[in-house]
Order: sequence, then structure tokens, then C-alpha cells
Amino acid sequence: MNASLLLHLTRQDLVDRYAGSILGAAWTFIMPLVNILIFTLIFSRIMGMRLGELGVELGQYTYSVYLVIGVLAWNLFANTLTRVTHVFHDKAPIIGKVNVSLLALPLYILLSELTIYAIANGFFIVFLLLIDFEFTWLWLLWPLILAVMLTLAYAIGLIFATLSVFIRDIKQFVGVLTQLWFWLTPIVYVITILPERWTALFVLNPFYHVVNALRDALMLQRVPAVAPMLALLLLALGLLVFGLWLGRRLERDIRDFL
Amino acid sequence: MIDVHELRKHFRFYAKPSDRLREIVTRRPRHHVHPALDGVSFQVASGETLGILGRNGAGKSTLLKILTGVLLPDSGTFELTGRITGLLELGTGFDTNLTGDQNILANGLLLGMTRQEVEARRQAIIEFSELGSFIHEPLRTYSSGMVMRLAFAIGIHADPQCFVIDEALSVGDAHFQQKCMRRIRDFRAQGGSIIFVSHDLNAVKMLCDKVIVLEGGRAVFSGDPESGANYYNRLLAEETDLDGQAVQQAHYGSGEVEIEAHDLRGAQSEGSTLSSGERAHIDLTLHAHEDLDDVTLGLMIRDRFGQDIFGTNTWYLGQPLAMRAGERRRCRLEVDVWLAPGKYTLTLALHAGSDHTTRCYQWCDNLIRFDVAGIRGTQFGGLCRLPLSCTFEPLDPAEAAPRDQEGADAASQ
Repeated sequence: MNASLLLHLTRQDLVDRYAGSILGAAWTFIMPLVNILIFTLIFSRIMGMRLGELGVELGQYTYSVYLVIGVLAWNLFANTLTRVTHVFHDKAPIIGKVNVSLLALPLYILLSELTIYAIANGFFIVFLLLIDFEFTWLWLLWPLILAVMLTLAYAIGLIFATLSVFIRDIKQFVGVLTQLWFWLTPIVYVITILPERWTALFVLNPFYHVVNALRDALMLQRVPAVAPMLALLLLALGLLVFGLWLGRRLERDIRDFL
Repeated sequence: MIDVHELRKHFRFYAKPSDRLREIVTRRPRHHVHPALDGVSFQVASGETLGILGRNGAGKSTLLKILTGVLLPDSGTFELTGRITGLLELGTGFDTNLTGDQNILANGLLLGMTRQEVEARRQAIIEFSELGSFIHEPLRTYSSGMVMRLAFAIGIHADPQCFVIDEALSVGDAHFQQKCMRRIRDFRAQGGSIIFVSHDLNAVKMLCDKVIVLEGGRAVFSGDPESGANYYNRLLAEETDLDGQAVQQAHYGSGEVEIEAHDLRGAQSEGSTLSSGERAHIDLTLHAHEDLDDVTLGLMIRDRFGQDIFGTNTWYLGQPLAMRAGERRRCRLEVDVWLAPGKYTLTLALHAGSDHTTRCYQWCDNLIRFDVAGIRGTQFGGLCRLPLSCTFEPLDPAEAAPRDQEGADAASQ
């Protein structure tokens, strides 16, 4: 898997997505934008009051900023995870004919989704500039948090991708999982609206820490908690090692079954 | 160079894919095994061409897939110098919605080239493929021959050290096939190794330095192409003819004399598949039930379209035959089968006089089937070979020098 091939697959993936459609790349933003608008309309009143407790005041845009950071990060995470899970089935024609590395092949999905995320955040930053948002050096932590998050998504995706060759149900399972996971993470809501005895359980949700860290660094201008992120990094690396081991162990079977 | 050592690949079949995981967990087998490759070894030196022959399901595709890295072997090792490319099925990773031009990049990268390498060779690839303005059209508008041309052009320009050619090459037209063959010879002359998989015994004999014959996942033969092709012919002959080519067999006649037993064999192949130019031995046993003073044995060779190709009888040959009631007689016909490669049938008849219209004792339509594969000796085109000679002579008698006299009797080979 050389760099040229990886870049080509990434570009082709972005081109193919909306090839032939009239609005083309605009569709990339329409879905998240509609999501954000819906959530803003429905939740901004309810959540706005609770957001005051976080100690940041961005006026009427507080909830929007809070929401966009979470939704965009979640889309990146969930899309990467879902699409990596499907990668062996989607790319079966190539895998069946040329020698490509099974474990490196999904990297193009990561790059492709990251590109979409970067473009969306470009618009987000323009929006922040328009509302006179104050940027701090904490924004430099952004890539680090993303790296941990994407390692996690890639690792879980790789494990699911391997298993899904043998268990087709994984594909449906991941669909259900991402739905549940989305609502079990404070992305559109603020955690303080929940009864306190529940919130203790959120510590077990990896994405809860990711979204917290992102909001701390980007919005609330405070250093994210280091311990959970380190734990997350270890978890992600552990899963990645397991995923690679599993993939290598079953590579012969994967190629036979495809 | 290609060095293959004891490759084994057993396909395991599961009732459902999840049984594979259950098997790992419970450690109890839940599959049945199909041995696709069972310990195959061979070497292909630089500049050498290896032919692989084998019936359907003998393990040829599995072997090629392992060599190109698409499948992993159970055991055994193989070593390749450099890159291996080929025509493994048409259009490796082609996207039919992209144009030919765009597919050059996609395909080249998949074959392991870098972007710079692809760009440097793009023009050469387009020229070799002879696609003209079609190169800017989507691939779905291409004929299979055009796809093959593009695939071959990219594959051969990827600077491989090893090249695999399979049946896909036969999709191209004669002009392009010849061009490919020239390119393949150049490639070989520059030290490339070639694996050639084909059922075209003729091409195998022409192109290959050595041949292995695969049967049931094993290399049952390894040696020179001529013997390899004969060995393969014999394998085919043993195969019971179940492909059910709808050939009409009809027997009729008054039955005073009958063909009791019949057999057709190539003198060298010893089977019903022979090379063009090989002598066929047709052995018959005739059994007369009545006294007959005028028996003619006739034969007709037909091609797969049922078209009469050649026929004659013992009346024309001036060999009249008389038989007594109850008599059995053995008869051998020998004919040099100068027919183009293909499938043929032999029709036999017993009658009185020059043809069967007065008295027909027995008529057996398409009694024997045989195949002609590969051409021995001088090449020819068309349905059959005619004895032909050629002389060149100067037009101006003043220049008549004996050195220009060059005659060749092509039929005397």
C-alpha cells in the first residue's frame, strides 16, 4: 500500500460520494447542517439555561457552538467506525483481484472522513470569527484529541470489519450501536439535565471523554482532564493491537470468504 | 524468477461463514475440505516461460491467485523477484464508470506503481492499447476486447519481473493478440519470467519453454511442452464426455452388415484428442449377417457446426469388399488429420455401391467424437490444410541465378 494508492483511493472516495448529483459536494454539509438546525431549534431554549452553568457566555450562540463541536466530532467518529466495518465487503472486488494490505486499506476511509470534517470545521471557524469568538492556544490540543478518537474508531472498525466477514449481522449491529451511542453521549444535550446517579455511568463511555475534551479545549478554554484521555489512548492502542492481531490471524480466511 | 515450493491450499467449505468463528472457539471442525492445491513446486527462471495446463478445477486459478497475493496458501513458500502483474481476469479493479484514462491511474496504482511512474508511462499505455479517442470514454462503453487491451497495456507497462497470462488474452482480436505476443517475447528477452495458462495447446507449444500439467491440485507432469500437451490430451480423453454437446446420433439401415465396435485414437496421443497433423487410427469391427458381395465403408468428418468437412468411401478408394454371413472383419482406417483445431465428429456408413441411396446397410451419424488441439509442424489458417508448395523465380531471365531457386514443399513435413 503506497502513499499514491492511498491518496488516490481517498480522492476517489470523495469524488464518488456525490458523482453525478447536481448539488455535488454541497450534500456533504446539508445533512449535518439540517441536523444542527433541528437540534438548535428544539433544544437551544432548554439547554441554553443549563449551559450557563458551564461558565462561558457566547450569547444566543452558546448552544450552537456546544452542539456543532459535538455533532461534527461524532459524525467523524461514527462514519469512520461504520465505514471501516463495511470496508471488506465494499472493496471485495479489489481485494479479490489485487494484492492490497487488508489492514491498511481502511486508512483511505479515515483520510476521506477527516477531509470532510476539516472542511466542515472550516465553515465553523468562519462562523466563530463572525461572532468574535476568542481563540486560545488550547486549540493546539485539537489534533491530539482527534488522533486518540480516530485510533479508537479505526481499531473498533477493524475488529468489526474482520468479524463481519464471518457474521453478517455485525453490519446491522453497528447501525444500532451508533444510534444508541449517539444518544447515550451528551452531544445534543447537557449532562446536567440527567439525574446525578446516572452520570457516574457516563465515565464508562469513551466518546463522552472525547467530546468533553474537545469542548474544554475549543469552547470552554480550559485544559481537558489528562487522566481520562490517557486511559482512552491506552484503550485505543490496546484495541488497535488486538484488531491488527485478529486481522492477521484471520487474513487467510477473510480472503477465502470474500 | 519465480520459485514455488510445495504450495498447498485446501479450501474449507462452511455451511455458513459464522461456523468458521465457532470452529475457532470450540476447536471442533465444521467444514469439508476441497484440496485446490496439494503440494505444487516449480521454478521459472528469468527469461523463461512456463505453461500451465489443466482441466477446469485442476487448481490453475488458485495457483495464480496465490502467486499474485490475492489468496494465502496453507503451507509452502514462493519467491518472486520484482513485481508480478498479469491479466488475471479482465480489468483488475477497473471502475466501469471512470474513463479509460482515469482507470490507467487507478489500475496502475493498484498494481503497485507510484503516481509518477503511472504518469511517465501513460502515453505509452494509451498508444499500446490502440483505444484512440475511446480512452476518454467511460469503461462501460468498451467491448471486452477493448478492456483486455487496456488491461494488458497497463499490466505490461508496470515493469513487472513476472507476468501472468491467462485465457483473458483470447478476448482480443488476432491483430492485437499478435502484438501482445511480440511484446511478451520482448519482455522475455529482457529477462522477465512468464506464466502462461491456456487451453490453447497450440499457443502453449509455441510460447512455452516448459510445461506443468495440474490435475487434482498436483503437478502430474513437468517437462517439455510437446510431451506436456500430449499428456494433457490424454487426460482429456479419459474424461467421460459429459459436456453434452448436442450432437445428433442416429443409427439406421437394413442391418445386413453392422459396425460392431469402433475406436479412434491419435497415433501419439493415444486418445481422442489429437494434434493437427497427427495420424488418426480408426479401428472398426464389421459383422455381416448375410452373404454380401458388395460392401462399401464410408466416412464423413463434420465440424462442430455439423458441416461436412471431408468424406470418402472404399468404393472411391477402389477397395471393394465382399462378406459371408456370420463373418467378422477388422478394419483399420488411417488418416492424417490436417484439420484446424476444434471439435469434430466422425460419421460412418455401410452401403452398396458408390453411395447409400441404393442399399444402405447401416448409417451411424456422429458415431465418434474427437478433438483437434494444437498444430504440429507448419502453421495454417482456415478449416484444413492443403498440400501446398511454393517457388520463387526471377522474372528477368538475365538475372536467373541458381541461388534464387528456393522451393519448399510444405506438405512434406
